[in-house]
Amino acid sequence: MKYVVAFVPLAIGVGCTMVGVVTGDPREIVVGYSFAWLWFGLGLLTTGVVLTVVIARNGRRHAVANARAAGEASQRENQARFLSRLDHELKNPLTAIRAGLSNLDADDPTVGSIDGQVMRLSRLITDLRKLAELRSVTLDLAPVDLSELASEVVDALGETPEHAGRAVTLGFPRAPRPLPRVRGDYDLLFLALYNLVSNSMKYSSASDTIEVRGSEGDGTVTLEIADTGRGIPNDEIARVWEELSRGRGALDVPGSGLGLPFVKAVVERHGGTVNLESREREGTLVRVNLPV
Amino acid sequence: MLLVDDEAAIRDNLGPFLGRSGFDVSTAADGAQALEIFANERPDLVVLDVLMPRLDGREVLRRLRASEQWTPVVLLTQVGESYERAAALEEGADDYLNKPFDPQELVARIRAILRRTAAGAPSLAGTTRLASGILSIDRMARRTWLAGAEVALTPKAFSLLEYLMVHPDEVISRDRLLSSVWGFDFAVTSRAVDHRVAELRKTLGDDSLAPVWLETVQGLGYRFVGRVERA
Repeated sequence: MKYVVAFVPLAIGVGCTMVGVVTGDPREIVVGYSFAWLWFGLGLLTTGVVLTVVIARNGRRHAVANARAAGEASQRENQARFLSRLDHELKNPLTAIRAGLSNLDADDPTVGSIDGQVMRLSRLITDLRKLAELRSVTLDLAPVDLSELASEVVDALGETPEHAGRAVTLGFPRAPRPLPRVRGDYDLLFLALYNLVSNSMKYSSASDTIEVRGSEGDGTVTLEIADTGRGIPNDEIARVWEELSRGRGALDVPGSGLGLPFVKAVVERHGGTVNLESREREGTLVRVNLPV
Repeated sequence: MLLVDDEAAIRDNLGPFLGRSGFDVSTAADGAQALEIFANERPDLVVLDVLMPRLDGREVLRRLRASEQWTPVVLLTQVGESYERAAALEEGADDYLNKPFDPQELVARIRAILRRTAAGAPSLAGTTRLASGILSIDRMARRTWLAGAEVALTPKAFSLLEYLMVHPDEVISRDRLLSSVWGFDFAVTSRAVDHRVAELRKTLGDDSLAPVWLETVQGLGYRFVGRVERA
């Protein structure tokens, strides 16, 4: 349709010329053109043509980008809607089961075992829900000192019975200056780093080394969490960021498969990136880049 | 007390449990029925589900408060989103629990509210402005003043202060603060609570060793020790 419109002026021009030719219009226009100005005219004409092409191309690229963004947004919306429905449909039965269980004899081992499984289901649903919420929640932004955050995370982990006594080497620069603070949500960054360091502890033994390092470069701060633990098989590395995925070598350690997706969601909400390198039986390195 | 939930399985299981815990329980299956029973029986407390067909819990609460009924209300919220929780307190709920909750926890909350109202303390739910000494907050505008001068609190710190002020004299565990104010209880994160309390104390100039407002109860949690009044 647009192309047809483009030919309308030409059609009008042709029409007028035909009328002129048939009626024998005798008038003439003689144009004198200074040669020196010819270059300017040609230049102007070329610029006009090039500009038209560039604008047309840009328009198409924008249209493609818009369509893709709209597609992604609607996919996210669908996912959020699905999770909220799932949430609603599962929460009421679980509430009823928990209330029902509390009417039974708490000393009965069967009741205890069902109660444990109900708790597990409740936790799983809550975690899935939080993960979905994280993509839309408003961040409570304030300057965060990452080296302080890292030592708090290590202290907090040291207080849990399963990780008591595990040593973590912290490597944060002090000279010529400490790491700049990043603008972030302290609680979410704390949880993300907590997840990463606790993974390093879970998938390594007491004799392994765990390091948390910080460095600065080009408008970003990089945190590295590295261990000499059991590592991840090559073919599973790509799947670690997927919800509920658990590696073959991780099945002996309790976990929900939601830790790393959570970390990724937190880092991305802060405008950062996260990647993971690992070799089986050698160890794992997770690198988190956050904008300053 | 009156238990309102559209899910029969919840009424049938939670009702007897609350009964065994020593409460005299009536049940209603939706908001309209709840208002009817409320008018006839005048319960001392209402446990109200938020998401219900026809008249939802939020609307029931609004109508109760609009007609000057200050009977304590515990909301059973479905969604964990923080605005939901803020809205629940703003609209005059005395407390709220996220489904699926521990029935024992519900009983503990109910007892705390009844203790407060039995002692003749005015319900602070539904009050926009609260004050304790030189500290005052506006819950709608989310603003804080110290001796008349406004102080800036981060949104999280404000919500924490608000929750503690609405439950004065009650020891509130870190876990409860996490699930009520933060809305998440991922892993062990009670440090997040300590971190915010430290921030609040610093901003308000409250000494942790001789607190005017925020007291640390060793091994249990935090308590707002100042006398809270409607301002």
